[in-house]
Amino acid sequence: MGIQLNSFVLADPKKCIGCKVCEVACAVAHRSEELKTVGNMDVPIMPRLYLVRIADVTMPIQCRHCEDAPCANICPVSAITQIDNKIIINEEKCIGCKSCMIACPFGAIELAAAYKEGRPILQNLLTLNSEDEFIHKQSAVASKCDLCIDRSNGPACIEACPRQALSYENVKMEKKRRNAEIVSKTGATIKNFMV
Amino acid sequence: MADKNQGNIKIDIELCTGCRRCAEVCPVDAIEGNDGSSQSINIDKCVMCGQCIQICSAYASVFEEYPTSREKKLLERNLPETLTEPLFAAYSIGDLPKVKEALANSAKFTMVQCAPAVRVSIAEEFGMPLGSLVPGKLAAALRQLGFNKIYDTNFAADLTIMEEGSELVQRITEGGTLPMFTSCCPAWVKFVEREYPELIPHLSSCKSPQQMAGTMFKTYGAEKDSIEPENIFSIAIMPCTCKKFEAERPEMNTSGYQDVDAVLTVRELAYLIKEVGIDFNSLLESSFDKPLSMYSGAGHLFCATGGVMEAAIRTAYEMITEEPISDVNIQYVRGGQGIRRGVVKAGDLKVKTVVVSGLKNVVPILEEIKQGDADFHFMEVMTCPVGCVSGGGQPKMLLPKDNDISFKNRISSTYRHYEDQIYRKSHENPEIKAIYQKFLGEPLGQKSHHLLHTEYTPRREGK
Repeated sequence: MGIQLNSFVLADPKKCIGCKVCEVACAVAHRSEELKTVGNMDVPIMPRLYLVRIADVTMPIQCRHCEDAPCANICPVSAITQIDNKIIINEEKCIGCKSCMIACPFGAIELAAAYKEGRPILQNLLTLNSEDEFIHKQSAVASKCDLCIDRSNGPACIEACPRQALSYENVKMEKKRRNAEIVSKTGATIKNFMV
Repeated sequence: MADKNQGNIKIDIELCTGCRRCAEVCPVDAIEGNDGSSQSINIDKCVMCGQCIQICSAYASVFEEYPTSREKKLLERNLPETLTEPLFAAYSIGDLPKVKEALANSAKFTMVQCAPAVRVSIAEEFGMPLGSLVPGKLAAALRQLGFNKIYDTNFAADLTIMEEGSELVQRITEGGTLPMFTSCCPAWVKFVEREYPELIPHLSSCKSPQQMAGTMFKTYGAEKDSIEPENIFSIAIMPCTCKKFEAERPEMNTSGYQDVDAVLTVRELAYLIKEVGIDFNSLLESSFDKPLSMYSGAGHLFCATGGVMEAAIRTAYEMITEEPISDVNIQYVRGGQGIRRGVVKAGDLKVKTVVVSGLKNVVPILEEIKQGDADFHFMEVMTCPVGCVSGGGQPKMLLPKDNDISFKNRISSTYRHYEDQIYRKSHENPEIKAIYQKFLGEPLGQKSHHLLHTEYTPRREGK
């Protein structure tokens, strides 16, 4: 029995210009309310893909939704599971231990400050102990690409890219396409010359 | 005289990723730099339209560390320290500190004006649907902020039409320089001054509505309220980043004082409203203050491409023929980005017009004029894609795909609001009639010419 491989978003560095629209679109897509203008963005933009610029290459990096996800394997509270062919973090369960950040070979996971309706989510008990007051510590949870699981049109980053540099990779289909392509290019030749 | 404003559009080199999408929208190729490197702005070329600000998506990430802290960046940009929205690489220097200081100073009498485009966009910054029409809430917010007089640029737009329409008729009938160009878009004016100084005589000598309003505040308005003009602090709320530059032009002082002391963009006004803690969405509608606020629908049309032309045609037609125009709605001037040509028959006269939206589109026409091939009389030029509703100081969309829908909605609200006005022609506005009767005399008269007209500065030798 074959398995259905997890798809993921991949950037084409030949097309990427480094504009970061994908990051903004990601952050907007993960808000519960619909935001249109920058003035309504009352919490920091915390994307789940990260534009990386090195000397000759610029492209965003995001989760590969690994088949044997090291982040899920290492999570001590089983907050990371596979749902509907996507590796998903349960933010309620996450304790912010950063094990998944250590385990991920892509660096696809960040620890993001938690907000709800524009306000920081504060922890119930853990406080920042200063001289004369106790301040409840803001919650922080592991955050990574969830392939816009709640969005009907699929990943927002793909839709927003002005250069169409992002695509939804279905590796099995791509493999089949390449198989067919190579057969159409060389199949006839091979057929004629095979003894 | 040198400009006080040495360019208020900036690119933060710590944030810029060098994607150069700003360079794609810059109408004057003022953005310089290599792909993948921080860009810089050539301030001589820059017309401060702010379209780079609207397209920029290179924001300051909380996951990154930058040499300059957010607090310091806010200070550099003149933004409130309580601001929570993300910062982007392209920005304009704000004027909130000046305005807050004036509001807090009891010796200052503050008079504020709002451009037509403000009432169709500001609500977006408070989560209301794109293009919501909110003149009443806007007036209420300004009142709560403590401005002493809440006036309207729309009134001055009607005044502009009186002067500009008269000037057009005079140029046509008495043989002045033609074609005449509109002069209300300061980015367009600066472009002519630098790139086509030999065509300066084509620009209407009329000040823009912002500057006409500012002048009237410190003369007629001061007289009305028995206030010493030096105690008036005049503020303009604009959809435009270049209006800051225009207000600081050294010649803009025919009232005897700087006509407009500070300009806030729509975004800056929204910051102020939020900082003070006003709940914009639940404000009860208020109205603007008389007399410098009454406007015709024609004046309101200034914020959409073709609007100045449409308003001017209505008035110029009636000045020429002394008969009412059969249909006030001149559809061919309306539209989106690009060039629209047409002819209006006014009696025996055929007035040929050109409307240009998007500054880049004007270049072939200016070349046509230089070659001596232009056969038209009047040209409206707006730098931004579809006029002031799409200005660089308007609410910035998080995602560029929403720009088109915001422009469409703001324009449809503009025409809806126009339909709601009692008067459809600038010269029928009773307060405009009164101001000429009581104060200005005649359009293009000695007083109106001194107060409401201006001069231009070649910014380099003619080509």
